[in-house]
Amino acid sequence: MSAGPPWRGMRRAGVLGINSRNALYTLRCNPRRLYPLVDDKLATKRLCNAAGIPVPGLLATAHHHFELRRLLAELERYEAFVLKPVRGAMGNGIVVVIGRRGDRFVRAGGREISREGFLYHAAGIISGLYSLAGHSDSAMVEERLEVHAALARLCTDGVPDVRVIVYRGVPVMSMTRLPTRLSGGRANLHQGAIGAGIDLETGRTRHAVLRGRPTAVNPDSGVSVLGVPIPDFDRVLEIAVRATDQTGLGYVGADVVVDARLGPVVLEMNARPGLAIQLANRAGLLHRLAAVDALPARERPLAERVALGREIAAGGAPQAAA
Amino acid sequence: MSRAVLVTGALLIALGLGVFATKTLVYRLPVRAAETRGLWQVELRVTVRGDGRQGSVTALLPGPVEGQVVLDERSTSDRLQFSIRARDDLRVGVWQGRLEGVHEIFYQFRVQSRGVAMPLPEGPVAEPPAAIAKSYGRASHEFPASALEVRDSLDRLALPAAESALDRVRKVFAYVTHEIATAGSAGSDALLTLAQREGNETGKARLLVTMLRAAGVPARLVRGLELRELAPPEERVWCEAWLGSVWIPLSPVEGFFAERPANLVPLGNGGRELVEATGAQAVGYRFRSIQERLRPEEVALLMEPENPLLAAVSLYQLPVGTQSALRALLLFPLGALVVALFRNVVGVPTYGTFMPLLVAFALRGYPLAPGLVLVAFVLAIGVGTRLALEGLRLLMVPRLSLMLCVVVLSVAAFSLVGDALGVREFFAGVLFPIVILTMLVERFTIAIAEEGPRAALVPLGWSLFVAVAIHPVFRNRWAEHLMFTFPELSVVVMGALVWIGGYTGYRISDLLRFRGLAAEGTQG
Repeated sequence: MSAGPPWRGMRRAGVLGINSRNALYTLRCNPRRLYPLVDDKLATKRLCNAAGIPVPGLLATAHHHFELRRLLAELERYEAFVLKPVRGAMGNGIVVVIGRRGDRFVRAGGREISREGFLYHAAGIISGLYSLAGHSDSAMVEERLEVHAALARLCTDGVPDVRVIVYRGVPVMSMTRLPTRLSGGRANLHQGAIGAGIDLETGRTRHAVLRGRPTAVNPDSGVSVLGVPIPDFDRVLEIAVRATDQTGLGYVGADVVVDARLGPVVLEMNARPGLAIQLANRAGLLHRLAAVDALPARERPLAERVALGREIAAGGAPQAAA
Repeated sequence: MSRAVLVTGALLIALGLGVFATKTLVYRLPVRAAETRGLWQVELRVTVRGDGRQGSVTALLPGPVEGQVVLDERSTSDRLQFSIRARDDLRVGVWQGRLEGVHEIFYQFRVQSRGVAMPLPEGPVAEPPAAIAKSYGRASHEFPASALEVRDSLDRLALPAAESALDRVRKVFAYVTHEIATAGSAGSDALLTLAQREGNETGKARLLVTMLRAAGVPARLVRGLELRELAPPEERVWCEAWLGSVWIPLSPVEGFFAERPANLVPLGNGGRELVEATGAQAVGYRFRSIQERLRPEEVALLMEPENPLLAAVSLYQLPVGTQSALRALLLFPLGALVVALFRNVVGVPTYGTFMPLLVAFALRGYPLAPGLVLVAFVLAIGVGTRLALEGLRLLMVPRLSLMLCVVVLSVAAFSLVGDALGVREFFAGVLFPIVILTMLVERFTIAIAEEGPRAALVPLGWSLFVAVAIHPVFRNRWAEHLMFTFPELSVVVMGALVWIGGYTGYRISDLLRFRGLAAEGTQG
């Protein structure tokens, strides 16, 4: 055992705690008035579209209960789609439809849902059942993404994504989140998804955790999740940083899905990204955030910021040329 | 923690402690709640409506009775003249004037009651004085002592010889106490009670007085209040019998003999009701009481004109109802401090920030175990309803409202059961927060559906855990005394909250979660 209380070791490792994240980073760098840009997925989509950042296509929306029948009618044209609450959190309230069987929809994972059931769920979304503060919400339907085979083979169901923490325009840490049966197909670490930290330098997974404990394989399939190269990782970092640039927020988690057809697309952003990414990377965030703060203040082009992030993540004190 | 946070918190704490220190050191207000058993503050509120005629309201007031001291009597009444009429040991408050529209009358007093235990006379007792025998020994409409059936009953009791008044009282008392059943629904007439072998409190008391008078012992009815903690006072009726040279209290319902418990405050004897009105269209009244935590002389410090500043900001001058509400309310900052500690320093997840606070408040009037059973009951009913409604596919707001109705109805049903089991007013204080538990039910069921029962139970368990942690704070008399007598301590709590708010160190939950990373750091 090391000498001293546990917090000293953690401080040395640069572990960011919840209180410091809230007080020193989200409260300080993320002005409240900008939150709707990331909390409202339609706003995020508009923002990204305007900046030419790829996002999943929007198929239909319903803001009121009376629009639900129309929503269902509009979906007749599509085989597969994803129903989401516009202001949902933590992947709650999402229904992924992958096909039809007779009069019913087939959900990802094989379960079926009737049209009535689908409408009831959408009505729940509009009533605010899944929204952040219980306010009434809107339902949106997006095209279903086809996850790149290199990531899709890591998990049996759900949509794996890549989370990038961007601090003041610099990507500082990243992980891929792999849904499991335990997580019910959702890419949330606390619900039981695997988090695999990505080496920013090489773009390969280097460490992974399941429910906070190290793991080398996905227990659903036995497939190794370590040393896996993330397809098109440079592009992932680029659009993550570009998307966060659009928001004006200083401390953001951008979630990117690598689609087989479209390449990396920005799924959503989060103004209060979780801290479990530190476990997935077996590394603390504090030193990296401090290194970004230590950079001389000036405008930097995107490419330089990505390079700086990689340098910081590699542990080198960035010798930023003035 | 930033400098500004440190300084702001310190300033608030210094301010609060400064005022606190001044009040305790300069004015010598006690930090500890005094052992003031039997010190109560009682308030009578009368609402009377009239159509413009002259009229009056009379109320029985506490008198100089053995075993109790009455202090600081005050009355406020709009447009009515207040006076006190005293005769012997009976005191009556009279408010008179033209009764027009609705008048509100407040009458407030403090009473120090230690109860009495009378020494019983040994051997034969003297004949009662003529005045007493005349007033309290005769048969009357209310006490038909000369009725045939009363005489018959007395004969059957085979009372001892005339010289042993005490034994006669004992025998009659035992008969009415044990042979006549007590039933709240039974009549209040003396003869009816005798005939039916059951009566309500007044009926039994009247029968006892009647039989005592028939047995040659002067006796009378006493009306008063039973003061209870965390519940409004209850009107009670008992008796007094003249033995030797004193009136001894006895109750055929409560069973006390020659003594009076400290929580009974006699208000008057004789035929009068507690509150009566003449010339009024309608009259209603309500008693309220709280147990005092300060000695009379300490309360005086807070009210005295020589400490005008202290008196001006003292909460002790408020009406009793407001005071008891504030006593509860001023505990909320302390409870919130506990919540903040658990959430931001320990780092436990709870449903909603103040849900644990509300649950703890709901349980305030009750011991922990039955309170938790109640919460579990409401949760079970709520979750059951929620699942039953699931099939109907209702929209959220009406569905929540439906659950609310079911929760309210089940609390009503539970109250009926409680009443039947003799646990009266079990729910009186809980009603409001219970309703808020409906929201907890909704969030809990959604969490079950979304994240599975296990993940849903964790925040529920912690919410209840924090509520259980706050519960003793809410029930602590010393805490209540401190926060109410020294409201400035809430400012100290605010300072502490500023500090907690600026605490950017690790939560205990962080330490557990990231302990693996710490080992990493120390190796390198």
